[in-house]
Amino acid sequence: MASVTPDSGSVTVAELLARADAGEPLLVLDVRNDEEWQAWRLEGRRPIETVHIPYFDFIEDPVACQRRLPRQRDIVAVCAQGGSSVMVVDTLRDAGIPAQSLVGGMVAYGEYLQPVRVPVDEAGATWELWQINRRGKGCLSYVIRAGREAIVVDPSRDVAWYEAFVRGLGASIVRVLDTHVHADHVSGGPALAARIGAPYWVKAGEGFECKHAIAPLADGQKIELGGDAGGTLDVRIMAAPGHTPGSSAFLVGRRHLLTGDTLFVKSVGRPDLGGHAVEWGRALFHTLRERFATLPDNTVVLPAHYAGPEEIGADGVVSAPFGILRRTVPELQIRDEQTFIRAMQRAVKPAPATYDEVIRVNLGLATVDAEKATEWELGKNQCAAGATHASP
Amino acid sequence: MANRQLDVKGLKCPVPIVRAKKEIDLMQAGDVLEVLATDPGSVSDFQGWAKTSKLAVLKEQRTEKDSTGKDVYVHILERKG
Repeated sequence: MASVTPDSGSVTVAELLARADAGEPLLVLDVRNDEEWQAWRLEGRRPIETVHIPYFDFIEDPVACQRRLPRQRDIVAVCAQGGSSVMVVDTLRDAGIPAQSLVGGMVAYGEYLQPVRVPVDEAGATWELWQINRRGKGCLSYVIRAGREAIVVDPSRDVAWYEAFVRGLGASIVRVLDTHVHADHVSGGPALAARIGAPYWVKAGEGFECKHAIAPLADGQKIELGGDAGGTLDVRIMAAPGHTPGSSAFLVGRRHLLTGDTLFVKSVGRPDLGGHAVEWGRALFHTLRERFATLPDNTVVLPAHYAGPEEIGADGVVSAPFGILRRTVPELQIRDEQTFIRAMQRAVKPAPATYDEVIRVNLGLATVDAEKATEWELGKNQCAAGATHASP
Repeated sequence: MANRQLDVKGLKCPVPIVRAKKEIDLMQAGDVLEVLATDPGSVSDFQGWAKTSKLAVLKEQRTEKDSTGKDVYVHILERKG
């Protein structure tokens, strides 16, 4: 990776987030149009000071725009795709104002994957678990490695990234699992499985036809990993219907639970995306109250989404012990089925227009090119029932 | 009827606005420029630029399909007096 030098005219998403997360006093100059600026913004683990001046204002009157910028700051210009920010940085540098352009703009931010190792505190654990944080969208996927074998869970579309990452761990991917049929992003599951000749495991659920070649995912099923190198790890499948009828959770080892979109660290998955808030809400209630309620308090919940950077822990991981969530997640405090369903109905909000199309692609009923998929995936996920601070 | 046409299909921002401004700067008051773009972001960009521009007025925007079914965003601009 290129190092950051003061005279470098550009900065990558990884570099920018590392600097912002470390608390460097950056000034982000967002040069997108008003609509894009209102819908979705760059977020760091600490607040980032941001000024919004559209690039076409720089085209009209660069000098007036320059006067609006605070001096003596490390300016990083951000646009939609990385073109306009280069133009703006050029005009700033011509005027003697140091600035850098974010390579690839918000598209690159939305696709950037940050691997974070999950600290595993289990006696005798020889395996490793990585949370792959898609920072711009709030999507979390996972890589589990034991011996020379790895499982990828809920991969994003950039399948080459997962292949390279697992190769870097000295392993190869033997299975690809999705916790459910996603609606907010195009799953990398089918493509990744096809590339490596591994089975793709997902459960579409009752009433859904899935055209992809899928392996059956059944409640109670056990997948062994790493037996080739003697370091066996069990991954247990747990049916968790609600967010979708086929939603599953994966228990990795004894106490790391990949909950998909069933349970987040501040909320639960919305059960209304299929248009059946009552039926799916009832299923979600029973999953949470009966299936999850028996989990030990020290179970580490690792969800498939988060709504904002405040959910990222001090160790960089989005996770929480179930014992804490049992007390803090509002929806887990509701003890009565009807009250829970009414709460879910109240939380119903319009889903982004692209969600139906994304579901069709993820079921293998339609295909999409990379350009269109990028357009569909702009912005943060809206998969939580209670996330009021998600983007509009 | 447009006096000039600007084809920026396949080009991403800032090129459509940069080129449109160059055209507008050369045009006479009342002249009309038709811009053909494929970048979906151009719709809001032209609206935003027209608000700050001293010389361009956005008269109309519409979406058409090219021969392959791909969206083409048409922006009609008039040069101010």
